[in-house]
Order: sequence, then C-alpha cells, then structure tokens
Amino acid sequence: MAKVRHTNLTYLLIGILALLTLAPIVMLVIGSFSEGLRNVGKFTFEKYISVYSDPGLVDILGNTVMFVVGAALFSTILALFLAYLNNRTNIPWKFSFKVLSVVPMMIPHVLFSVSWALLLNPSNGILNLWLQQLFNLSNAPLNIYSIPGMILVEGLLDLPIAYLIISPAMASFDVSLEESSKVFGGGNLKTLFKITLPVLRPAILAAFILCVVRCLASFAVPSVLGMPGRVYVLSTYIYRTVNTGFIADYGKAAAIGMSILVVSISLIYVYRYMTRSSEKYVTVSSRGFKPVVIELKKAKIPLFIVVVLISFILIVLPVLVLLYTSLVPYSMVPSAKAFSMMDLNHWKTVLADPISLLSLKNSLFLGVVGATLGTLLSLFIAYVIVKVKTRTAGILEALSFLSFSFPGIVIGIGFMWFFIKTPLYATIWALLIGYVATYLPYGIRPMTSAFVQIHSHLEESSAVCGASLLTTMRRIVIPLLVPGIVSGWVLMATMFLRELSLSVVLSRPGTEVLAVQILRFSEDGLWGRLSALGIIMIFFSTLLVILANILGNRFKPAHD
Amino acid sequence: MEIHITALKKYYHSEGKVIKALDGVDLSIPANKIFTLLGPSGCGKTTLLRSIVGLETPDEGEIRIGDTIVWSSEKQIDVPTEKRGLGMVFQTYAIWPHMNVFNNVAYPLQNMKLPKAEIVSRVEKTLQFVQLEGFGSRPATRLSGGQQQRVALARALVAEPKVILFDEPLSNLDAKLREETRKELRTFLSELAITAVYVTHDRIEALALSDQIGVMKSGHIIEIGEPKKIYFDSEHQFVADFIGRSNLLPVTIENQGEAYTEVTSSIGDVLCARKEFPADSEITLCIRPEFVDLIKPGEKETLQNVFTGIMKTMVFVGEVYESEIQIGDQLIMVKVDPDSNVQEGDEVVVAIDPDHCLLVSR
Repeated sequence: MAKVRHTNLTYLLIGILALLTLAPIVMLVIGSFSEGLRNVGKFTFEKYISVYSDPGLVDILGNTVMFVVGAALFSTILALFLAYLNNRTNIPWKFSFKVLSVVPMMIPHVLFSVSWALLLNPSNGILNLWLQQLFNLSNAPLNIYSIPGMILVEGLLDLPIAYLIISPAMASFDVSLEESSKVFGGGNLKTLFKITLPVLRPAILAAFILCVVRCLASFAVPSVLGMPGRVYVLSTYIYRTVNTGFIADYGKAAAIGMSILVVSISLIYVYRYMTRSSEKYVTVSSRGFKPVVIELKKAKIPLFIVVVLISFILIVLPVLVLLYTSLVPYSMVPSAKAFSMMDLNHWKTVLADPISLLSLKNSLFLGVVGATLGTLLSLFIAYVIVKVKTRTAGILEALSFLSFSFPGIVIGIGFMWFFIKTPLYATIWALLIGYVATYLPYGIRPMTSAFVQIHSHLEESSAVCGASLLTTMRRIVIPLLVPGIVSGWVLMATMFLRELSLSVVLSRPGTEVLAVQILRFSEDGLWGRLSALGIIMIFFSTLLVILANILGNRFKPAHD
Repeated sequence: MEIHITALKKYYHSEGKVIKALDGVDLSIPANKIFTLLGPSGCGKTTLLRSIVGLETPDEGEIRIGDTIVWSSEKQIDVPTEKRGLGMVFQTYAIWPHMNVFNNVAYPLQNMKLPKAEIVSRVEKTLQFVQLEGFGSRPATRLSGGQQQRVALARALVAEPKVILFDEPLSNLDAKLREETRKELRTFLSELAITAVYVTHDRIEALALSDQIGVMKSGHIIEIGEPKKIYFDSEHQFVADFIGRSNLLPVTIENQGEAYTEVTSSIGDVLCARKEFPADSEITLCIRPEFVDLIKPGEKETLQNVFTGIMKTMVFVGEVYESEIQIGDQLIMVKVDPDSNVQEGDEVVVAIDPDHCLLVSR
C-alpha cells in the first residue's frame, strides 16, 4: 500500500522531471532541423549545413578548445595545490580554505569578469593605467580581452568546484599508503608523485571533467572578456547568432548548441561513472586518525602568502574594484584626485533607472520563488532517490543528473523553441521554469546527502507509533532535513539571483534580470552604473544567505 | 492478544537469485507471553517481525492479530503500519535526534490526538516505569546507549499496545550492559499483560528472556517450545546445534528399551533418553559438553555410558577448561572444572548421563 503511494509519486516526479529536462533537449533537436521559430517542424538540413560548413567555425572551435582545456587545467591544478596544503600540511589559518572554497560560488560570474575587465582592459584598465604611469609605457602592457585572460578568470571561478571534489578525497586518503612508501625509502616528493597523486587520480580527473563541462557552458567570461577582443567561443557564437546583427536565427543556434550539448552530456556521464568507481579506489580509512601533517618549514610563509593572495583576488578584489568604480566618474588610477572626485552619481542614476529596478525586482522574485519551488521539487526527488530505491527511482536519478550537463545558453535556446508554442513565452514563468530545470541538481544534491543520513528506522518507528505518512514527513523527516533544505535553498537562490546564460536567451523586454542588465551596461561601457548595480546584486545575494540561515536555525532543534 | 500467521510467503529477487525469506510460515504466538524468534542471520526472522508490524509486505498468506486480520493476500486486506496499533523497539532504537525524551515518548499519544494533560501524565508514568523519571526535557542525543534503549521501550509501551515487537534491541549494547538490560526487560515485560515478539540471533538472550522460542531456518519455523525443551529436548539437529555447543555423532538404533534407546556410534554403544523414530530415519546423537563428566576409575562400575579416552587439548577460558577428549577416533568436546589437575596427554575416564544423551533427527 505504501508501495503504491511511492510508485505514484515516483511516476509523477519522473513526469515533471522529464518535462523539465527532456522537453528543452527534444525541442532543441527539432529546432535545429526546423526552418525558423515560426515554422517549427518544417524539416530542413540547412541549419546544420550552414553552421558546419562555415570556415569561421574552425577559429571558434580552436578558441573553445584552448579556453576550455586551459581554464579546466588551471582550476584543477590550483585546487590540487590548495587541497594538499589544507589537508596535508601545517599551513596556518586553515579555516580560510573553507571560506575560499565556498564564497566564490556566491560571487556572480559576470561581476567577477567585469572587475577583471575594469582592472586589465587595454584602454583604461586601472592596473594597466597604473603600470603605464609607473614604467612610462605608451601602450597597455596587459590585455584581459584575450584567451589567456579568459583562462585566468574562468579558472579562478571554477576553482571551488574542483576544490570541493578534490579536498574530501585528499582528506579521506588512507595515510598508511603514503607511510609505507616512506618506509620503503620514498621521499616526500617521490611519495607525492608516485603514490598520492596516482591514488587520487579518479578524483582529480572527475574535477577536471566537471570543470570542462562548466567552462564549455560558461557564458559570463566569454561575453565580458572575449567579445570585446573579438575572441569568440561556441557559447558566445550562439549568442551572436540570436542576439546581434540582423535576424535572430534560432535554428542555427540550435544546430551549434547540439554539439556543445552532446559533448557535455557525454562528459557528465563519464564523470558519473568515474565518481562511482572512485569510491572503491580512494580508500577511506575508518580508523579515525588524523593524517600525518607534513612540516612545511621554510616554505610555510611564502606558501601562506600565496594562499592569502588567492583569497584576496577571489573575494576582496572584485568587490573593492566595483565599489571604487561605482564612486568615481570615469576610470582612473586610485589617487588623491580620484578620491576627491567621488560621488554617488552612478548610484542615483541606477536607482532612478526603471529597467534596472525592474530587473532587480524580477531577479529577487526568481531567487525567492524559484528557489522555494526548486527546493520543494528537489525534496521529493531526493526522497524517492534515496528512500524508495526502486528501478524507476533509478530513472529519476539519471534524469536529474542530466541537467548537470546543461549549458545554460544552449538549454535556453531549447526552451525558446519550447516556450514559443506556449502562453509562457516572454513571461517571468518561462525564466523560472528554465532556472529550476537547469539548476535542479544543485538542490537535489544537498538534499540526497541529508536523506542518506536519516536511518530508515527513524521513519518506520514513526509509522509504528501511529503516524500517517504526512505526519512522519512533517514531524520527523522535514525537521531532520532542515540543514540540507537550507543549503539547497541558498545555493539555488544565489544561483537564480545571478543567472545570466539562460536569461540572455529567455529574457525579453519586461522580464529583464540583474545579470542581463549588467551585461548590457558592460556592452555599452557604462562601468559606473554597472558597478553600482553589481554591488546591489551582491548585497541582496548576501542578504538572502543570511536570512535563510537565520530561518534554518529557528527550525533546528534547540540543542546541538 | 494472540497472533496467527498462516502460510506466509515472502521471496526477494536479487541479481537473478530468489531468496526465500519466508517460505510458507505457519505460526501461532500465544497471548501475553514473551515469544522469541531465534535463528541465524538471513533466516527470515526479521522479515517475519516486519511483516507483522506492516513494514514489509509479504507475497502470500495471512496475518491475524487478535480478531483483526491485518494482512491477507486472499482477502486483499492490508492495514497500514500506523493503523495496526503495535509497539516496536528497533535495533538502532530509532530515537529521533531532534526531539527531547518527552516528545519521543509522547509521539504515539500525540498521534492518537489525546488531550495534552493526559499525554503528560501518561508519559510521566511510563518514564517512571522504565526508570527514566525526570529525563523528559533531556535531548535524546545526550543519553547513554542503555538510556536510549529505555526511551525506545517507553515509546513502545506508552500507548499500551496489546503487542510489542523487539528487533534485536540489545545487540548494540556492550556485553555487561546487555546482561543487565536483558534482566530489566524480563522484569518490565512480566509486569505487563502484553504479547511480546522478540527477534534475536543470540541463543543466551533467547533462553533467558523467553516463555517460548521459535527457531527459524531459511524461511521456515523448525521448532517451537519452551527454553528448556529447546535446550534439553529438541527434535532437530539444527536446533540442538544452534541453541548450544554440542557433540553431534551420527548413530544407528540398536535396541529400543523401556527407559532408554540404545544406539551405536563412533565412540561405541550409548544409552540415550528414549525416543521413537520412524524406520530408517537418519538420527544424530547430541551430547552437550557440560554433561560429559570426568570420573575416577573407581566409580566406573556404578555409572552408565562410561568411556575411556586421551585428553587432547585444554583451553583455559576462565570458568572452565574447554577441552577435547579423544575416544577411539572421535574427538569429544568436554567442559572440565578449572581446578582440575588433569593435563594434556593424560588418560581419562568419562561418564555421560543417558538422560542428557539426546537423539535428534537430521
């Protein structure tokens, strides 16, 4: 009987999830073979032929490969370095690593990219101007509008993802493997390269693959830093196809998107396969001892400075640059003169700009309502995945994993083809559905790990005590899930508040959102207004996080 | 309340194999007694318990509690767990970590929508009964294992169910605490008019706690009886072997006497407690180590079942020497007094009381 209820729930959730994840893919495929948005289903190969016979595509593909592989390598190596320092050495201030791994996820990618553009753009980047003054140069020495610049910024942005995969693997590493290497004469470095890294290889590869998928989907960095330097990658190529020039060609965009999607989905399933087998590979020691800490000796202070520097670049610098830019009338090197010229003009302009205000309102709505709906859906899906565990529940898990691979702009094109046929087209609900579909795994994951921790006996004993399924949910399961719910909600809300890549496709006049508005300012070079709006965005994002945590603490049991 | 189980079946399918957890179980559990389901892990005892409470859905058969059919494949009846009104103590205790002791215990009453004042007084009474007075406001996670166990018991008892189920409730306690809790549990349960069904794989727990024991093996109930009957006078070799250490020797019946049955075995002819068997059934002689007595050569003539052998090994385990004596080619396990001066290699004479020579079918 309980089984029947669960089966119905499973099918209902599979239905919802299939609509959310498969519909955009199916529509993307149909769209790529159609003549145009108004002629859905009129079959043609023309879009594929025109896209893949274009000689310009070779350059774009080359850029894409360099950008994606470079940035993914950069973040993986940096994550490996930081994870090793944190878990295995006596570096001071270890708590800063936790901050380092979480906070950058809160910083909107578009703002982070803009802050680097403000620092290092070739015409009036603050750092460039300063270097020019210092060394008396006629030209800007550094150019962020280039592939190395994009790799640097994207690599820093994806660092937390790689770190969150590699660090736990490093922490649970069975130290006796290393100790035996030392007993048999291997030094620290030899042990690191011959034992530690090979054993951790699955985690490292998994981190790399996930970074590749993220870079491939990345739109903020290529649009803010790539497009001004005419460096196009696949995601910005799609954007150009639908957003600039003469007529938006969604069929062509779909045809380009197909190749990104195929690569992403394949990679994400490789990732899934690898993280499954890695559990067997990385030996988690149950003996509960602390790994031996390696004395850094002389290297301690320099390495510590490196970590502090990375933290500064990732967290403090973007906010500082934005704050500074929002207060000065035009780009200039910080000086007494600059400080004397500071005023609130950009802030006043932004706060009087109806479109900026509308985008703020829309983004807050999407953040709060979207995250709440998304959390609710994730809650049920996680419940079925962890607790029901039937074969159909397995389908649900595979489906929910699918959207992990969704490159926002591609799936946005898919949704465009989908919504054009519905009354949802050009409404805020279109954005909301798209957001939930694309970011659902980020809600499901914290929830599944929360469910895993609830022993089935806790629910069963509630039933034995005469509680209905609903009572059991309300009084036992939900209260125990609160921490998972809060972190899932926070993750989704902050992601929705800063969402860019889906929004650039789906957002229409009237449904502007913050990140898109910031991109418009960036395209128009209105750095001051952009910075003011960006700070407002960071402020609300932080506010949501704090409020959610306060609310979560209220529902939490009084003890522990 | 009595529990009647008829032709209960539950098969699990895993990786192409069929596991028969319950293979047509027929069982009547008497009212207001402690009934123990004993068996090795994987014998189906927990599946049976969980089917009674409704956490597991059988494939076929019928379960009746008192006059109510709670599950029947034929009549298509399936009373959900929460409507069966039973009490249960889980192996993990399943104490809800986000609630204090009071709320954990009050939960079944709250589900019955009783008035607050009544809930408070009944919870107080039950906590007093399990000797946890004044623990109500304690967070459930700040309790010792033994105390958690008693909270779980209080929660199972508070609604005064007619049936209480125990799923290996003592297996998470350390040896000393387990012994104490077992005695307490026996006292608690004998004070109440309640039918208790207790699942365990620990034979000492089963013997010490139960009014009746049902021994299970691969989805079947093999034998039911009082603890002494199961221990001294079991019908099956499996039961005799499972319930305690024993020497098992295949035998053939020589002569059916008036008081004793005479058999031939690898240690020679043995007089056994009289038992009838159908013709050409395979029979095993079961001798428990504690009933093999070392005797002085002079006592030989006055006793029956006297054998001479060599002391092969003696392992000192505290209260006894666990020893092996070779009689002919057969090694026999024997318990020797710890103050005995016999040494390995000595020739020894032993006598086995025929009343403790148990014949069982294979």
